[in-house]
Amino acid sequence: MRLRLSTGTPDRHDLIVFGGYCVAAAVYIAIGLTWIDFLFSFWVGVVYLLVTAWLIPTAVRRIL
Amino acid sequence: MSWAAHDLEPYAFQRHLNLKVAFVPLLIGSYSPDMMSKWFVYGIHLGPWDLKASNPAQFHRGWPGVGFTHSFLFGLVICLILWKGFGSKLWGVSFLIGHWAHALTDTGDTVGTMLLFPWTFHFHLDAWAYAGQTGRMTDAAAYFSGLGGMWDLVWIVYGFFSWRVLTSDYFDNVIFRADAFWPWCNRAVPRGALLTLYRAAFFYGTSRWIAWTLWAHVIHHYPYDLSWGGPHWVPAAHP
Repeated sequence: MRLRLSTGTPDRHDLIVFGGYCVAAAVYIAIGLTWIDFLFSFWVGVVYLLVTAWLIPTAVRRIL
Repeated sequence: MSWAAHDLEPYAFQRHLNLKVAFVPLLIGSYSPDMMSKWFVYGIHLGPWDLKASNPAQFHRGWPGVGFTHSFLFGLVICLILWKGFGSKLWGVSFLIGHWAHALTDTGDTVGTMLLFPWTFHFHLDAWAYAGQTGRMTDAAAYFSGLGGMWDLVWIVYGFFSWRVLTSDYFDNVIFRADAFWPWCNRAVPRGALLTLYRAAFFYGTSRWIAWTLWAHVIHHYPYDLSWGGPHWVPAAHP
């Protein structure tokens, strides 16, 4: 199977998801600049992203 | 050495190879040359002990040392173990691509890599200064002030240009289908969490690049030096 990716234009859903990751990134960077050790660990980054980009949105959706 | 390229390169390869590669071993391959050695290059405090290589560049990239982890042969051996030993050609080849990309990228600095080990010649382009011996913070400042940081930026831009590889559709139709690892994980981990995990290295590499750039140039005002082999305000190591 051959897939072709066009760069195209992201739709509204893609942009909303991207916006969420941008917010998560801004907070990650702010924490990292305050406490530099936060930036060193890949696993800290993974756990942080799981919490902010999946766990919290999932919990909020269930509450609402 | 590179700070974010190894997080980002796998997504670029993924864009072009689609179902021909598995993302997890591609990423592990990309990280593998430094997995066991970076801590000893920068040094750590362990109770009363300070553990650090006496010659970090030699330890990291040379022989004697663990520089063989940055050679084509090392990637090939692990590839064959995964392929012939564990029966997964897909994992073996994907690991090999990720690993060789790392080994080639690290030829960009002033120490370079022993690509053709056991031949111990260092292939090095001298585009940016290797400063791991100066400690983690100075290394970060130097790296994000020279062409190394710009090389990372190329991968970030290319990653955004390839934005479709980060979408949930792509994850479902390519990443998830290409490798049985993902359905196996999906027995215990929800699909949304797996999608987030798939995106994690790109998030980590990009966010960290921005954070270190701000740290080096907004908070600490280290000077940019984008000349070949720079920044020249840091003592660069050589083989």
